Amino acid sequence: MSAAQAATGDSAPEAPAAAIEVVNVSRWYGNIVAVNDISFSLGPGITGLLGPNGAGKSTLLHMLSGFLAPSAGSVRVLGEPAWQNEALYARVGLVPERESVYPFLSGHDFVLLSARLHKLPDPRAAAAKAIKEVDLEPAQHRAAGGYSKGMKQRLKVAAAIVHEPPVLLLDEPFNGADPRQRLHMMDMLRRMAAEGTTIVFSSHILEEVERLAENVLVVVSGRLAAAGDFRHIRRLMTDRPHTFTLRTSDNRRLAAALVGDPAVFGVELQDGALSVRTSDFAAFTLAVAKVAKDADVSLLELRPTDESLESVFSYLVNR
Amino acid sequence: MNAAIVGLTVRQLLGAKRTMLLVLVALIPVVIAAIRRFSGNDVDTDHWTATTLLGQLVVGTLLPLGALIFGTATLGSEFEDGTAVYLLSKPIARWRIVASKLVVAWGATSLLVLVSTVASAAVSLESVGEGAILAGFVIAVVLGALVYCSFFVLLSILTSRALIVGLLYVFIWEGVLTRLFGGLRILSVRKYALGVADQIITAPSTVFEADLGGGRAMFLIVAVTALTFVYAARRLRSWEIGEST
Repeated sequence: MSAAQAATGDSAPEAPAAAIEVVNVSRWYGNIVAVNDISFSLGPGITGLLGPNGAGKSTLLHMLSGFLAPSAGSVRVLGEPAWQNEALYARVGLVPERESVYPFLSGHDFVLLSARLHKLPDPRAAAAKAIKEVDLEPAQHRAAGGYSKGMKQRLKVAAAIVHEPPVLLLDEPFNGADPRQRLHMMDMLRRMAAEGTTIVFSSHILEEVERLAENVLVVVSGRLAAAGDFRHIRRLMTDRPHTFTLRTSDNRRLAAALVGDPAVFGVELQDGALSVRTSDFAAFTLAVAKVAKDADVSLLELRPTDESLESVFSYLVNR
Repeated sequence: MNAAIVGLTVRQLLGAKRTMLLVLVALIPVVIAAIRRFSGNDVDTDHWTATTLLGQLVVGTLLPLGALIFGTATLGSEFEDGTAVYLLSKPIARWRIVASKLVVAWGATSLLVLVSTVASAAVSLESVGEGAILAGFVIAVVLGALVYCSFFVLLSILTSRALIVGLLYVFIWEGVLTRLFGGLRILSVRKYALGVADQIITAPSTVFEADLGGGRAMFLIVAVTALTFVYAARRLRSWEIGEST
């Protein structure tokens, strides 16, 4: 667990210098708690902020980027408070979720504006480098208002990295990007992380996080459900109890046969279907066909009952 | 101030449809002046020009309307479409952002209203130097535009309904309430501008007279501009994403 350490983590060694430190942070809007007592620290590398829509990812990211004040706790970036600290933006890049850009500016002028606002010594060279980095050179002289959603995302990334910040925060950066653009951006972020940049990106898509992040923070209902190495969290997700619904030629006989299977810990007959609970997704899906064949039962339908991301997340919270 | 923000804001305003509309509105006083001039109306020209044309139509209506549109658009439209984040996520002091936006709004309002003032006065008056009427209103427009814009830039930071609140201020507060209750004139930018004009105009009070003395008007212009500017910078520093959107 090199980049992410959470207060809820169980085997995290001390990181040498945390680029981002979040301590007991909560944020509420009136009676609604958007983020609830979250603590973690992050160092260089890529961290995925994963959670269903409305989980509090954006609220957390906005607090990291100094655009929201924590109601309680503290958020420090590169050792400084994130809130009301304009000078910090010299070392932080932000890619907001909204796709709006100045429509009357060309892509080139948009990135150049960012370079000028950062008062870079050679804004033109910096803008050209950032545009090349996101592979937007062919379209750079067109008005940004006419860009596709994916191009706007790349443009926003170029504007955010033009000053080569040691911390880069991205809110749903792959929205609207086609697979090729997605791969290109992932390669670029991996390169930046290898060079020592601390990158945090939010996503509600498990596969995106899986492909990019070494570390992950899972946020559900404003709480930090899990944090740390992605493989560890993925294993937790895979090993959780699963429920399958089966329709067969003889539900009762198959139920009796399945009870003896070590991967199965619950069988229930309901409304002409068989509901089976298993602790091992892979073992059960491999075994069920053989058990049915041995019991001389035809399998008509086999489907996982609830594989939505929300249910996976809620398992992590309640485990 | 920041040159990059000034340049960006000028481009934003130039491309906006509302700017085109305002240019058309700015022609109205000129058209009215021309109609009066060529209709052979026998009212006192100096009095009508100072009080009705420049006092009521230009300073009373066009000036606050122009300042409202430009003042709320410079920052307000960026909050509305989400582009404000690109300015606010840069290492630039918030007061510099407010100052840059204010300068553009002030410049655009002054330019628009001054052209209308000079053109309509030139059409209406027999001599543009008459009683320093034009000079008085030129200064009044420039200083009035500064206070109005400062106030409307602040409004756009405070609320996403800045245009509506501004319209209520101009037409209900200034247009109705300050006429009914004289004591409210110290909270009317229109009265400040007219007070400045009165201070400069040398024509007799039968031609033009303001409710507020020139000295008090100048003091209030400086005080209100400074207060609204400082408060706008402070509020922008505490601006949270999702606010004013």
